[in-house]
Amino acid sequence: MIDMARFKPKTVYVIYIAATPEKIWAALTTPEFTTAYFLGAAIEIEPKEGGAFVMRKPDGTIDVSGEVVEWSPPRRLAVTWGVRWLPQMRDVPDCLVSYDIEQAGDSVRLTMTEAHQWDVPDALLSGGRAGWPAILSSLKSLLETGKPLAIKMQPPREMLDALAALKR
Amino acid sequence: MDAVFKALADASRRELLDRLRAENGQTLGELCERLAKTGIGMSRQAVSKHLAILEEANLVATVKRGREKLHYLNPVPIHEIAERWIGKFERGRLQALVDMKKALEQSDE
Repeated sequence: MIDMARFKPKTVYVIYIAATPEKIWAALTTPEFTTAYFLGAAIEIEPKEGGAFVMRKPDGTIDVSGEVVEWSPPRRLAVTWGVRWLPQMRDVPDCLVSYDIEQAGDSVRLTMTEAHQWDVPDALLSGGRAGWPAILSSLKSLLETGKPLAIKMQPPREMLDALAALKR
Repeated sequence: MDAVFKALADASRRELLDRLRAENGQTLGELCERLAKTGIGMSRQAVSKHLAILEEANLVATVKRGREKLHYLNPVPIHEIAERWIGKFERGRLQALVDMKKALEQSDE
């Protein structure tokens, strides 16, 4: 059992999407959608608490992996999130990523929260802070217009520097 | 989008966004305390009103944690504005210009 109280929210992003909660849930949890807006990564997720969760890169390697902490369609999904593709991230504690989906008038509010269980330096958060707004905007565009946005992403320099400093 | 521009058209509200960018997840009390420490006089009531306008414009997201309400900078609407007017081919060149400006201004200090 994962102690949620240990995790403190560090990054919270909110986006309004003209779609149904069910459609947004499907976009978050099925590979047909995630490959379109999440930098090409395909989600594999066991639909239950304690289930395995993986984001797989187009070349088949693991991008992110973790465990399902909450599976409440179509309202709330929470997973532990460990970045595996960057070797420098191997010793960094997993964070908790949760999505909350709420009806807000004619559209739906999607809130992404990245919470950490240690005093993570800001520079390490810069990767997520660069990536999430683009990923969420792309998800919105995909659901509203049928077309995702083009995203080209590299880990920010400051994040790589901070990871190198952590090793020492 | 009107709400975003209206919210940004105020120096005090931009200051609050800067403070959250520097330290995300502050309570109203922490924001007021730190503003006062750096000599910026803004009443608790004014800060609270500005935060409500920023939240309404979706530039600030809040999380309830126990009895505290934490405030987070939400840059998603600004990202959407950038997507609308900045093409993907311009992005690299603009970043190069911003990097150059930063480097030149830092070397002056």
